[in-house]
Amino acid sequence: MAAALLSFATTGKLSAQDGKTIYNKWCSGCHGETGAGDGVGAKTMLPHPRDFTKAVYKIRTTASGEIPTDDDLRRIVEVGMPGTAMPEWKSRLSAAEIGAVVQYLKTFSPNSFKGAAAKAIAIGKAPGGDGVADGKAVFQKLECYKCHGLAGRADGKSAPTLKDDYGNPIRPADLTENWKFRGGNSVSDIYTRLRTGLDGTPMPSFQDAVENKLITDEQLWRVAQYVHSLSPEKTPESREVVRAALAQKLPATPDDAAWATVERFWIPVVGQIIAKPRWFAPAVDGLWVQALHDGRSLALRVSWDDPSKSPDPIWDEWLGRMSKTLTDVDGPLATQQGPDRLVVQWAQNPSDESKRPYFLGGDTKSPVYAWRWSSEPKVEEGSEAGLGHFTALPNGSVTQSARYADGQWQVVFTRPLASSDTTKVPRFGEGRAIPIAFYAADGSSGEDEVRGAVSTWYAVYLDVPTPTRVFVAPIAMIALSAGLGMLLVTRAQKNGRANGATDSSPMEER
Amino acid sequence: MTRLRLFLRHPFWQAVLLLVVSYLAFTVGVRYVPPLFRVASAPVPGSVVLQYMFIAIVGILIFVSSDELRWRTFKQPLHATLVDQDKRWLRGGLLVAVPVLLGFATYQQARPKVEAPIQLRSIHPAPPGQITFRGKAMQLSGLENPLRKSGSMADHLREGKRVYYQNCIACHGDRLDGAGHYAHGFSPAPANFSDNGTIAQLTESYVFWRVAKGGPGLPREGTPWNSAMPVWENYLTEDEIWSVVMFLYDQAGWQPRRWEASPEERKNPTGAKQPAAPNAPKAGGAK
Amino acid sequence: MRRVMLGAVALAAGIWGCGGKSSGSDAGNTGGSTGAVPQSGGGGAGGPTGNATVSGVIHFTGTAPTNPKIDMSQESACAGKYTSPPTDPQYVVKDGKLGNVFVYVDSGVPNGAKYSAAAADTIDQNGCLYHPRIFGAVVGEDIVIKNSDNVLHNIKAVPKVNRGFNISQPSAGMTSKRTFASPEVMVPLECNVHGWMHAYVGVLPHPFFATSGEDGSFSIKNLPAGTYTIKAWHEKLGTQQTTVTVGAGETKTADFTFSGPKA
Repeated sequence: MAAALLSFATTGKLSAQDGKTIYNKWCSGCHGETGAGDGVGAKTMLPHPRDFTKAVYKIRTTASGEIPTDDDLRRIVEVGMPGTAMPEWKSRLSAAEIGAVVQYLKTFSPNSFKGAAAKAIAIGKAPGGDGVADGKAVFQKLECYKCHGLAGRADGKSAPTLKDDYGNPIRPADLTENWKFRGGNSVSDIYTRLRTGLDGTPMPSFQDAVENKLITDEQLWRVAQYVHSLSPEKTPESREVVRAALAQKLPATPDDAAWATVERFWIPVVGQIIAKPRWFAPAVDGLWVQALHDGRSLALRVSWDDPSKSPDPIWDEWLGRMSKTLTDVDGPLATQQGPDRLVVQWAQNPSDESKRPYFLGGDTKSPVYAWRWSSEPKVEEGSEAGLGHFTALPNGSVTQSARYADGQWQVVFTRPLASSDTTKVPRFGEGRAIPIAFYAADGSSGEDEVRGAVSTWYAVYLDVPTPTRVFVAPIAMIALSAGLGMLLVTRAQKNGRANGATDSSPMEER
Repeated sequence: MTRLRLFLRHPFWQAVLLLVVSYLAFTVGVRYVPPLFRVASAPVPGSVVLQYMFIAIVGILIFVSSDELRWRTFKQPLHATLVDQDKRWLRGGLLVAVPVLLGFATYQQARPKVEAPIQLRSIHPAPPGQITFRGKAMQLSGLENPLRKSGSMADHLREGKRVYYQNCIACHGDRLDGAGHYAHGFSPAPANFSDNGTIAQLTESYVFWRVAKGGPGLPREGTPWNSAMPVWENYLTEDEIWSVVMFLYDQAGWQPRRWEASPEERKNPTGAKQPAAPNAPKAGGAK
Repeated sequence: MRRVMLGAVALAAGIWGCGGKSSGSDAGNTGGSTGAVPQSGGGGAGGPTGNATVSGVIHFTGTAPTNPKIDMSQESACAGKYTSPPTDPQYVVKDGKLGNVFVYVDSGVPNGAKYSAAAADTIDQNGCLYHPRIFGAVVGEDIVIKNSDNVLHNIKAVPKVNRGFNISQPSAGMTSKRTFASPEVMVPLECNVHGWMHAYVGVLPHPFFATSGEDGSFSIKNLPAGTYTIKAWHEKLGTQQTTVTVGAGETKTADFTFSGPKA
């Protein structure tokens, strides 16, 4: 490597040999020293790391079936593939180093790259105007929903049957979460994917449909604009505190229109890779949480994308494929689909704010207070001493109302703020933040009470009615400072007159 | 042009300019200049900016008041604002604007805020002198990585790489910078080994302790209830942990901190406790 | 990928005309192959040809597994083309004869002999099944992909040697052309919208191949005199081979027998 850097210093160029050194150090752990996508870290990853020996690449600017351009490869190394284990490398490797790695990648499939370099297709500019409605119509006409679902949440009828070139299960993109689009989420990125397809996956190229004049190029752009519009304009960022605003009346059902105006908070969840058995391929990647209270009860609505309402026999095949591909890390996968699950955990004793239970469902010394929901649907109230170690409490007062539609669960939990059991149940007091954490699992993907997705501790803050001092204090401050200002001016003017206004400006002196 | 020069020579405007420049340096400069030289940076917290600005104001006041003439010149525009007839609009404006701004600031302070419960966390809590690893007592102080004295380093590193890629990258990431694809789901953020404030400051035995006992093994000041670090002794053998520790240092390009040499070793500097051969520089050598 | 090969189109037209690709209208057809008139490769300009023939019958012993039923309820446009519930024609067995076996000359054709591609072969998507299901193509030959269903199909080639492709055909009447650049037996074709849809194309450097019909018969024509290794491939039952020597103008028989999978 030292020699490589030396040669870089003298020539400004790195060779494929340098690329090999860099590759072996940073890339081979997942992609393997032979480039076959079988590095030591590969088996827990879904999607699996790219197999360079086949030279089949998802994200290209070339036609379906073509090899990618060097720039295509460089771009992926630079920015990574969102939603997968492939990170961006431009913060670690220089442009010259990335270039050398790209040259080295191509040597894994010499036959594919021996001919002329691939040519990028020409990508024009998105047509102006608001094309979202048109785009939706074309989306329907092209039957994109067969895989991506009517609302774009990857719950299409064909979704459970999808596999990649290697027979591994593959999910269609959730079009409502465009921050995970592998090739970027701009309208032009989306359009490019429609034109070129994602090789190695079920996503086809629509190039021929345009050439056959089934749709126009403009219509394809409209689809891209529509797809882009399905996600929030800004990638959601998690905030530590979920605010429960005061409301006159709490909406009881998940589809109550009142929820539309309640601020929603994004809680990311990731694979449970802490307790045995670990789970590296979570189906759920985040929850939208909304909360309201009316001084007597708390209502919490949790919404999350899940392409299956588990258990569902059409997903049996998917489960089989999951267990075959993710041959175990810590034990075999369930052979039967369980229900979908959501556990809402609360810190039992929020009065000691410097200490909390263990975020992963508590432990025996310090359990969490939990609402354990499953898609039957039902909810149990109890305490949890570690994931899956749940003891129901008698006289639980939490109720649930669940709705599954278009690839999304929406569950409303309602509970009185007060509780008779003050030892095991936290007091939901106004004006304070109560620690909360989540666990979510998709039964159709083999997830259960331990294999699933977890969040760290967040908090729910119950709004208090604004106290009057909030309005009095600023007014007092204004009066005080204005009075002092007036006093200052009057005194200065009096002094000025007393001095006979002899001061002349030093600026004028010069 | 001459007007501008007059302005720049005037102590009052010099002071104002200095204040603006310092403010920009603390907020924009610290955040965006180091990245231009590929040095990581982060925004300065508001409270720290406030402190810095206070120091800057004191410094500027000392400067303008150090000379009698300069002090008088400095005060002149302030005085003029208070008394001059032709500045009565400015004066009136300030008399309205300043109280309103103060009132708004007071409102910001007084209004109920949605605040997270306070969490104080010690980043590198003191390690215990001794731990029990899978039922076996281990003395941590003075403990070196035993693999550095036996077997093939290349084999240890290959094993460490396997352990790392099968267990650690989801959080600590391919670049070892704590930005793995699950990192965003956890708080506190996974440790960044490429930063010179983590493993570079620690002995291998400390790292061994952190790996073996994970989050739940932290003392209370380390907020064990938040840490997503698993208790790796449930998954990995002693040698696997030592090998992954060795891999971390090698891959990130740091030397582990050594225990103070014993008197005998000081006499015999070629002894076994000498640092291992220097690691190759990072591939990301451009840093 | 879109090299258009202009071969002996006119010469081959007659041979292509004799059927094998006209089953689209009858969606109830069990597969792509076509009765007594087996499909065979186009006449090859360039490489040596002759007038010898290898023909035979594929026998089947044992019990044929039941072809899996296909649930097309989600696709009324396809389901409506069937009078009885459609099945996936993995086994085409009739009176102890096996159809949909791809029979081809594996070796014996002079190395380096170049056969130009003939006219385009067509694979039709009709009733949410491929017609033909099993077929052959000469390297570089245009394969015409046609959609006769008014639904979205994608057709994806998943080769091991060649470059693949994956194109969408969102409505009826659409056609696309693709070629394969290297010999490969067989290249799987699949539709991901309809996970049950599978077809296989055998890509060879010469036109000496055929697919057995429903009566199990096949015939490989226009061979030059010589000794050939003939292979017979079935999607579930694997590959068998035999060696045949034919003189000029001769017709030799090469029968194969496949037995059903052990229960």
